[in-house]
Amino acid sequence: MTLTPSEGGVSVTARDFSTNMGGLCQKGWTSAEVLSVGDRIITPLLRGASGALEPTSWEQALAFIAQRVQLLQTTYGVDSIGVFGGGGLTNEKAYQLGKFTRTVLRSRHIDYNGRFCMSSAAAAANRAFGIDRGLPFPLADAGSADAILLLGSNVADTMPPLVQHLARVRDRGGLLVVDPRRSATAALTADGAGVHLQPLPGTDLTLLLGLLHLVIAEGHADQAYLEARVTGWDDVRRSVALWWPERVADITGVAEPVLRRAVEVLAAAAPARGGRGAMVLSGRGVEQHTDGTDTVTAAINLALALGLPGRPASGYGCLTGQGNGQGGREHGQKADQLPGYRSIEDPAAREHVASVWGVDPATLPGKGVPAVQLLDKLGTEIRALFVHGTNLLVSAPDALAVRARVEALDLLVVCDFVPSETALLADVVLPVTQWAEEEGTMTSLEGRILRRRKAIDPPGQARSELSILADLARALGSTVRFQTAPAEVFDELARASAGGVADYSGLSHALLDEEVAGFHWPVPVGSTGSPRIFGRRFGHADGRARIVPVSPGSPHDDLRPEAPLYLVTGRVLAQYQSGAQTRRVPALGKSAPAAFVELHPALAGRYGIEDGDDVRVTSVRGSAVARARITSAIRPDTVFMPFHWSGAGMANAVTNSATDPISGMPEFKVCAVDIARVPAELLEEDVHELAR
Amino acid sequence: MSSPAERVLVVGAGMVGHRFVDELVRADRVGRFEIELIGQETYEPYNRILLSEVVAGRADLKALSLPLPDSERVQFRRGVAAVELDLAGRRVLLDDGTATPYDRLVLATGARAFVPPIEGLERAPRHVHVLRTLDDCRNIAARAMNAKHAVVLGAGLLGLEAACGLRRRGVPVTVIDVDDHVMATQLDGAPARMLAGRLRDLGVGVITSSSIAEVINAYDEIVAVRLADGRLLAADLMVVSCGVRADIRLAADAGLAVDRGILVDADQTTACAAVHAIGDCAQGLEPMTGLLAPGWRQAERLVAVMRGSTVEIAADAPRTPVREQVRLKATGVDLVTMGVRASQAGDDDRLVTLTDSRARRHVDLVIRDDTLVGVTCLGAPEISAALSVAFERRTPLPVDPLTMLVPEGRTEEPASPVRMPGATTVCRCSSVTKKDIVTAWEGGARTPDGVAAVTRAGTGCGGCREVVCGLVDWLNASDPDIATATGPPASRHVVARL
Repeated sequence: MTLTPSEGGVSVTARDFSTNMGGLCQKGWTSAEVLSVGDRIITPLLRGASGALEPTSWEQALAFIAQRVQLLQTTYGVDSIGVFGGGGLTNEKAYQLGKFTRTVLRSRHIDYNGRFCMSSAAAAANRAFGIDRGLPFPLADAGSADAILLLGSNVADTMPPLVQHLARVRDRGGLLVVDPRRSATAALTADGAGVHLQPLPGTDLTLLLGLLHLVIAEGHADQAYLEARVTGWDDVRRSVALWWPERVADITGVAEPVLRRAVEVLAAAAPARGGRGAMVLSGRGVEQHTDGTDTVTAAINLALALGLPGRPASGYGCLTGQGNGQGGREHGQKADQLPGYRSIEDPAAREHVASVWGVDPATLPGKGVPAVQLLDKLGTEIRALFVHGTNLLVSAPDALAVRARVEALDLLVVCDFVPSETALLADVVLPVTQWAEEEGTMTSLEGRILRRRKAIDPPGQARSELSILADLARALGSTVRFQTAPAEVFDELARASAGGVADYSGLSHALLDEEVAGFHWPVPVGSTGSPRIFGRRFGHADGRARIVPVSPGSPHDDLRPEAPLYLVTGRVLAQYQSGAQTRRVPALGKSAPAAFVELHPALAGRYGIEDGDDVRVTSVRGSAVARARITSAIRPDTVFMPFHWSGAGMANAVTNSATDPISGMPEFKVCAVDIARVPAELLEEDVHELAR
Repeated sequence: MSSPAERVLVVGAGMVGHRFVDELVRADRVGRFEIELIGQETYEPYNRILLSEVVAGRADLKALSLPLPDSERVQFRRGVAAVELDLAGRRVLLDDGTATPYDRLVLATGARAFVPPIEGLERAPRHVHVLRTLDDCRNIAARAMNAKHAVVLGAGLLGLEAACGLRRRGVPVTVIDVDDHVMATQLDGAPARMLAGRLRDLGVGVITSSSIAEVINAYDEIVAVRLADGRLLAADLMVVSCGVRADIRLAADAGLAVDRGILVDADQTTACAAVHAIGDCAQGLEPMTGLLAPGWRQAERLVAVMRGSTVEIAADAPRTPVREQVRLKATGVDLVTMGVRASQAGDDDRLVTLTDSRARRHVDLVIRDDTLVGVTCLGAPEISAALSVAFERRTPLPVDPLTMLVPEGRTEEPASPVRMPGATTVCRCSSVTKKDIVTAWEGGARTPDGVAAVTRAGTGCGGCREVVCGLVDWLNASDPDIATATGPPASRHVVARL
C-alpha cells in the first residue's frame, strides 16, 4: 500500500503489486486508524505502589527493568529471563531481539508467536526440502495453474486479495478446498469451479493419505521424477496401501466419489501429465494439530508423488499468516535458531554469527524450548518475560492457564502500542512505533524482502524496539554493540545471514529502495534473488527431496460422551489475531462486533438453541460464551468460534495446549467440547465470573 | 534391560500378522522382543482387501504393497511354510527342513477360501479360481482379458466385488447364491433386492436361491455350469466366493483345542500359555466374521497383553455380536452397512427407512436412545460417509433423523442485485452492503469505479465487481434523470425501493 501523510495521520491507497494485484481488504483500508487509536500508549508505564500502571520516564522504566533483570539472573540464573517475540515485527527488530536475548541476557529462552502459525509447515518443509520458504514460487504463478488444493486455508477471509489469483483456476474447475466448514473460500468451489472436501476435524492426515493412495492406485505417480529427484518413495508408497478410498471415506466423512474426483482434477493438472500446473497449499487449519507436521508432510508427499515441486506453476507452499510471518522466523526469534535460518546447535553457524556480533561463540546459549513449553515455565524456571508484538493472554491456547502463569511472574515487560490484555498485566509497558512510523523490511509469504517506509513521526514518547534494546543492553552493562538505525541493523543482519539458508547478504535498504518489487531470498552478494528455488535442486546437500512416511494420530482431546462435539477455531475477515489492534478500529468493530459460535441447524435443534441465543462452549480446560450463528455451512458434529476476542467470548479459554512433538505447534484447531444454551438471566453473573 | 530378549515367532504374514508385528515393533522401544515373521507366500506383504480392485482394473498392484517390517528389528522369511508345531520343544518345523525356536508363538495363519463340493471340480479344471491371494487375483485378471462368460458362485461381499470388477472389465458375468437374496450376512431382503436391481442395471446377472450342481469341463477347461434347477450357463471363467474356513491344521495337529478356529481366551491365548492366535484363524469371544477390523483389534490387544497391560476386555466381552462396518468396493455401487439391521430393530428403537426404487436407493437407520446404532445405506454416496462417521463417533443426532437422509441443498441462490435486501453484504472484503452502495450512488457515485472510491467495494478480492456493476446499472437505469442530474439525487425515492 502507499501512504500519504495527511491531516492527523496518513491516508492509505492500494499499490498495484503482483502479489495483491492492487487489492486490499477492510483491514488494509482502515489500517491508518490503528496509528491514532484513542488509547494509544505514548509514554512508558510502570506499575506503581497503587497497583496501577502509571506514566514514567524512559530512564526510570529502563533502569527498573535492568535492576530487576540483574537481580533475577543473579538469583535464578541467566535462563530465568524469557523473551516472547512476534511475527509482526520487522526483520530488523526480530533480528535484534534474538541477538539481545543471546548476547545480553544470554538466556536460551526465546520463542515467538510464529510457533502458533508457521511451525508445523516449517518443520515439514525443512524435513522434505531442506529449506523452508512459505512459497517457493511467486504467488502470481497460481494464476497459471490448472488446479490448486487448498488445505485448511480460508483465504477469502484471511487474505482476500489472493482470491484474484484463483480466478483462472476456478474457471478451469480446478479449485479444491479442504475445510470442515463451507467457508467463504470453500464456497468459491461452487458452480463447477471445483470441489469442496468437508472432512471431520482431526482427519486431514487420513484424507491426504487416501488421496495419495488413489494417486498410486490409478497410476498417476510420476515415476521418472520420483527416481530423479526424490529419496524414500518406496517406503511412502507402501505406507499408504492401507488407506484405500472406502476406508478413508468412512473415517473422514468425505464421500468416495469426491475423493476420486479431487485426485482426478489434481492429477490432470500435473505438468507431467500435460497439465498447466497443480499446487498444494496449506494453512493453519491442517497445521495446528498434534500431528500437524505429519499432515503437512502428507501434503508434500502428495505434491512430490505427482511430480509438482520445481515444475511450472506447481508445487507445495504454505500460506503465511502474519505480516512478517516468513521473515520473523528466519533471523533468530526461534528457540533453536540463529540469523539466516541457521541452527543454534551448528558450531560453524555459532562461530559465524558470534563473529558478526563480536562475542565468543562459547558464550552463546544453546537451544531453548518452543512457545507452549516456554509459557509452561513461566513463574517457575522463567521468572521474567519480555513480550514483543504479541498478545498471548488472548492468542495462546488454554489461555486461562496462561494467564495464571503470567500472573506468577516476578517481572513482565510488554512492548506494545495499544493496551492489550497482556500489556494491562505488565509491570512495565514500553510504547513502541508501529508500521507507518518506522523504517525496516518485511519478508512476504513468497520469501520476498520488501521495504517498510516511515510516513509519519511516532506519537508522544514512543520509540522503536531497536533503540529500546540498545538502551537496555547498555543499562545491563553489556559491551555488545547494538545499532539503532534500521538500515545499519539490516546491513548487520545481512552479514549474519551470509551463507545461511535465508541469505540476505546481497541486500541493503538502498538496493531495496531501488527495486520496489523486492527480492526473493536467497540473495547472496551479487545475486538478483531467487523467485523459484526448486527448479533444479532442493535444499538438502544432495539436492534431492526427502519423502517420509507418516501415519495419522488422533486429536489429543478427542470425542467422548461428555464432550461429543469438535470445536474448531479460526478467523473472520475484519479482525486480526487477538484483536488488540483491529477491535480498536470502529469500522472493523461494526463489521465484526463480537465472538460467535457457528453451528449447524440440526445440532442447534438437538440442543434447543436458536439463532442469536447465547451458547456456552465447554472443554475440560474452560468455557466461552458467545452468540449462536446457525448455518448449514458447518458439519453437524462441529462448532466454530473465531479467536479474536477476550473476555467471555474468548475461544482460547477452551482450546488445548497439547503440541506437535516435532514442531511444538499447539492443537488450536480441534478439541472436544459440549455446548449448552445459556439462559439470558444467567449470563451477566457468568461474565463477571469469567472476568475475574 | 538385562534379561535376554524374548523370541516371538509369528506364523503368517497376512494383514493381521503384519499388523501385529508392526504394532509390536512400535510398542517395544527397548528391544524386549526378538521377532521373526514367517510368510508362506513368496510375495512381499500386501493389502488383500484390494485384490478385488485389481480384478476390477481400478488399482495398480503398486498400491497394494504393505510396508516391509523393519529389517533391524524383525527377521522376515517369506516363501517358507510352517509344517509342524513342536509345543514341547518350543519350536516350529518349516518346509525347508529347518526348525525355528520361540519363547512365544503367535499363529496368524488366516483362513482358506472354502470351495463346496461340486461335481466336476474334482478334476480341477482350468479357469476356476477362488480370490484369496495375489496369484488368484493375477489368474482371474489374466483370464478376464478374453473370457466371454464368467460366473461367480457366492453373492457375499467379495463375490459381488469380483462380479462388478469383471463386469467393469467388460466380461459378461452372472452371480449365483444359494440364499434367497444377495449379501444375506449383512442385508435384509428389501435392501438386498434393491442391490440386486442395481447390479442388474450394471449388467451383472443375479440368480438367488440356487447353486451350481455341476461344473462342465472340456479338455480340462470349464465351459459351462449346470444350476440346481437344471439350467445351463455357458462359463469360461468361474470365481468361487463361498466364504472362508479358518486355517487350523497346524494347531489341531499339535493338539491345541480347535473348533471352527483355534480356541483362544480374551487375551488371544490358546490352552498353551506360550501360544496365541489372532485373526481369521482364531476363535475367541468375537464372532468369526472373516473381516479385517476384528483381526486388527485382536493384534492390538495381543500387543497390549504382551506389554503387560491389563486389557479392559471385561467391558467389551459380553457384548452382543455387532455387525461390523462393511463397505462394498465396486464402481457404480455405493453400499455401507454397520450395526443393527432393520429386521433386528426392537420395539423401542426408532427405525427410519427411505426407499427409492427408481434410483436404487435404500437407507435404513436404527436409532436407540438418541444414538445411531445401525445403518444400511445403498445408492446414496453423498450421505453414506457422513453416516459412517456419525455411527463410529457417536456424535449427537438431529431431532428429526430424516434430515440425515437429505444432503444439504444449496440454499443460497445467486441473488439478483435488484431483489437482494438492503442489508445484504455485497463486498465481504470491506463489508459493504447493498444499502451502502445505493447511498454512495445517491451521493453522486454513478460508475462502479466511483462507487469503489467511496465504499471500497470490489477493492479486495474483486469477487463482487459483477454485482457492483449490476447494482450501478440498475440504479442508473432506474432513473435516467437522476443519473444525469448534477444536483443531489432524490434519495427518498431510491430508498423507498429497497
